Amino acid sequence: MFRTIVKIAWASLRRRTTRSLMVVTMICLSLWGLFLMEGIYDGMTEQMIANAIRSDSGHVSLFGQGYRLDASLDNRIKGSDTAKLEKFLDSDPRISSWVKRLKQQGLVATAHYSRNTVISGVNLRREKGHGRLEDYLVQGEYGFGRQAKGAIIGFKLAEKLKVSIGGKIILTAQDLHSEVTATALRVTGIIKTNNLRLDETTVFMDIAAARKFLGVEHGVTQVAVMLRDNQQTAGFQAGLRQAFSRLEVLRWDEMYPALLQSRVIMNGFSLVVSLMIFGIAGIGILGVMLVSVLERVREFGIMLAIGTGFGRLRAIIMTESLLMGVTGFLAGAFCGWLSLLYFKIYGLDLTVFSAAFNEFGMDAVTHAIIRPDYFVNAFVSIIFAVLVSMFFSLRILRKSKPIEVINEI
Amino acid sequence: MLYFKRKLYFLLFLLIPVLSFMLPHNAGAEDAGAIIRKVVDNLNGKSAVLEIIMAVKTSRAERTMKMKSYSIGQEKSFIKILYPGKDKGITFLKIDKSMWQYVPRIEKTIKIPASMMLQSWMGSDFTNDDLVKESSLCDDYDHKLISATQTGYNIELIPRAEAAVVWGKILMAVSREYYLPVTVNYFDEDGVLVRTLSYSKIKHFGARFYPSLWIMKPETPDKAGHETRIIVTDAFFDGVVDDSYFTKRALKRFSR
Amino acid sequence: MLFQFALRNVLAHGKRSVVTILLGTISTALLVFSSAWMDGSHQQMIKNAVEIYPGYIQITGAEFRQSPSFEHLLFDVDKIQAEVIDIAGVALFTPRFEAFVLFSVGDKTVGGMLTGINPEKERRVSRLCAALKDGEYLENNDNNQLYIGNELARRLQVKVGDELVFIGTGADYSFAADRLIVKGIFQTGLFEFDAGSAFLAKSYFDRIMASKNLATHGIVLPENLNRSAQLAGVIGRRIGPKYQVADWQQTMAGLVKSMQLDSCFGYITLAIIFIVIFFVVMIYTLLAVFARLKEIGIMRAIGTTPRQVFAILLWESSILGFISVWVGGLIGAAFAWYFCIHPLVFSGMEEQFKQYGLAASAIPSAFEPLTIGRDMAVMFLLLLLSTLYPIIKVNRYQPIEALHHV
Repeated sequence: MFRTIVKIAWASLRRRTTRSLMVVTMICLSLWGLFLMEGIYDGMTEQMIANAIRSDSGHVSLFGQGYRLDASLDNRIKGSDTAKLEKFLDSDPRISSWVKRLKQQGLVATAHYSRNTVISGVNLRREKGHGRLEDYLVQGEYGFGRQAKGAIIGFKLAEKLKVSIGGKIILTAQDLHSEVTATALRVTGIIKTNNLRLDETTVFMDIAAARKFLGVEHGVTQVAVMLRDNQQTAGFQAGLRQAFSRLEVLRWDEMYPALLQSRVIMNGFSLVVSLMIFGIAGIGILGVMLVSVLERVREFGIMLAIGTGFGRLRAIIMTESLLMGVTGFLAGAFCGWLSLLYFKIYGLDLTVFSAAFNEFGMDAVTHAIIRPDYFVNAFVSIIFAVLVSMFFSLRILRKSKPIEVINEI
Repeated sequence: MLYFKRKLYFLLFLLIPVLSFMLPHNAGAEDAGAIIRKVVDNLNGKSAVLEIIMAVKTSRAERTMKMKSYSIGQEKSFIKILYPGKDKGITFLKIDKSMWQYVPRIEKTIKIPASMMLQSWMGSDFTNDDLVKESSLCDDYDHKLISATQTGYNIELIPRAEAAVVWGKILMAVSREYYLPVTVNYFDEDGVLVRTLSYSKIKHFGARFYPSLWIMKPETPDKAGHETRIIVTDAFFDGVVDDSYFTKRALKRFSR
Repeated sequence: MLFQFALRNVLAHGKRSVVTILLGTISTALLVFSSAWMDGSHQQMIKNAVEIYPGYIQITGAEFRQSPSFEHLLFDVDKIQAEVIDIAGVALFTPRFEAFVLFSVGDKTVGGMLTGINPEKERRVSRLCAALKDGEYLENNDNNQLYIGNELARRLQVKVGDELVFIGTGADYSFAADRLIVKGIFQTGLFEFDAGSAFLAKSYFDRIMASKNLATHGIVLPENLNRSAQLAGVIGRRIGPKYQVADWQQTMAGLVKSMQLDSCFGYITLAIIFIVIFFVVMIYTLLAVFARLKEIGIMRAIGTTPRQVFAILLWESSILGFISVWVGGLIGAAFAWYFCIHPLVFSGMEEQFKQYGLAASAIPSAFEPLTIGRDMAVMFLLLLLSTLYPIIKVNRYQPIEALHHV
């Protein structure tokens, strides 16, 4: 029974090879384009977010009370809190890694230029395991030298100071006792995190050297925490807030609200575009279904006349359209998946489109993201479009009274 | 081949005493570090009270200021502006590496923050940092005697690795007669001359010889035509300087 | 002759023509409106960024932009002003003197930019006045009254009426300091700007900073904003090589680039949508042409050449395309025009906009007949192209084959 229906449907599709192929191609190409767009745009936004999380905020960051308004060393996380906090962080299974940073604003200078800077004392080994800071290195080496007299600085800052690897920079800052203090470091590395704020201002130095430089024996200004599962961020934040009421606990999106909004805007944009694509593709499918039903009114009339039920006709038409829809979907999904996979592994060099990508906090090479819901959503939408087209076609078929049509000449 | 190499070493070995004999420190000259220490001591004294005129010349105009400075060694100093009337009574206090400024017009003492350290001091070609860090010539550099002549020494100062100095090196010419600096050339890390400080017109002040004219001249093109001259009109060395000058309260108190 | 034939065909197949036209219309309207929207938002972002403070044309000392020191000032503002204001197309000239100073209240000391402006003229070239949040804007003959950025005021913890002091270096490199009273607090929405800027009336500023007849920037407001670049060129030739005249595309090169980037994304997305439209139109044409295969067979059989058939079919799709492009273009244009006058307001997205230097969250679309015309032409070509394959394919049938096609 079912086999006959499929056979008839297949035969009708074969009879209009060009047309059927075109519908399949259209569905395939539109889905392919859509998947590519979604995967790459998502890849872009997620990469921007990941850059901020990896280079600075983590999923959650802790600060001393009042630090966000007045970033002075007095408002750091005090030594007494640190011990308790470390214990907590080490024992929580949700955490994949955490790092301590000692930051202070100051001045970085060469013999010719000086710039305001954020001095960030870090432990490179831990940063590597935490946010893969090493991967951002574009020049030099990932280290502060044997005597911890090295500095890794943002590429924009390096450009502005006109300093290169091995160059000397002088940091001047206020220490814990508000005394002006200065130290000389050699640039050992230059990083490009595409976290604009960081690339323009940050000088990373060894945290122990920073402690000495700033006269801070205990405590840090920031603790950044990376979670195993980013879905748990909000819950984790709430827990931390309860446990450490004296600290400020912020999620990455509270530290970088613009990035979250980018994501919201991108999602909205993708939704609108996919609605348009499905809408237009739906119109295409509808047209083909209508025509293919109408041109076969006679044929259906005869089938009805010889006793075939209307239900069986419906099944035939449905099979036909589903065959086209599903084939198109499969082809599109396969092409989309394959190209996304390619871009996921090898990345897409966006500088092909515009050299400006390098300068706006975007990675030149974007690695696509593949989410199952792209395919699920597309499948549902295509099936929906097919069913709607079928519904209309059947109504028109019924209206045109097939049995009477056979009697006409 | 091997034989040749060995011979070469032998030759070198023989030469070493000869070469080192030719080096200045073996020529009976003094250690460069000691020269610098002497120079710095001569410039600062145990204590000093100076009256100076500072003339700042730019490509457009020239301004003259008069001021009086009190200092103990290199660690503490107090400066008061006497002229022009607009700036009269502005006082500066430097203790170690911190600097405060009192401005009578706004009746306020301001601590110079880290971000202002490299800004110009009173519009001159000296920076705040220059005033704060003058002591470092001895401690922050490795000294090397480049040449010694009849009249003076040429000494190269290379900043030590840990020293917070922006310069790549400093070349200083010292007069043998007075153990006072003649010119100080500041270079960046690439060996480009950034500025020159020269001392001249050595005069008697009490028992001491002291340069009465200092000229600071930036050598970078964006500061073409700039020059700051300091003329020491009166000086009194190694006397007793009241410790009360070197407190924050003094800033306002001695402003009048 | 062929055209009339085509027209008759179009009219004869009413329903089918309507569907095809509808498809073309929707696509055209979509294209016209999306590019109007894209251009509009970019223009708005740039306009905002330019008008908040930088201005359309900036005159500075020739090397000021590379090394912003008091060596590269405008040294005779009155003369420059007289020369510039004389040039046709210049609506206004106003000088600014920017100086980096220390602001201080109590123990708090914060570095920032203190700028002397002509408050009355400034009203017309920037949005400083409109950004007033608290207190009052400046007047030309104000004394030590300060108009300060909101975040800077917050950092110094001052309110309207409070006193603060500044110390800095005057234009003649002399020492400058004064007590200032907060007259007004502004918020442009640009965090960096609001956290580091304060303004004084230039007449008073000149007295304490020794900057009479001097300026770091001269801001020129062109009568026609679209001709900023040309006008900048004219001004540059008039006042000579001692000074640099830059229009907003130079002063805001980064922003212009980021807008190009955004357009790039927009066009990629549109391209994907157009691929779909292309196919749908092609399919529709295919259906339409094949439904008439018998008719075409008859035409061929009675001696119409393939070339003529081709011409007739192409005329048909041209007529359909023409109608769809015009109707769609007009609909798209109507939308563009409506949203040009009634900008869409996005609330809650200010952060994202601030990143682009856009403080307001209302975005109008652009209404530019030239762009609309371009989009209509592109769409027309696309529609024609998409009908080509079906027409060629149908023409390949031999007359007999066509007659017997089921």
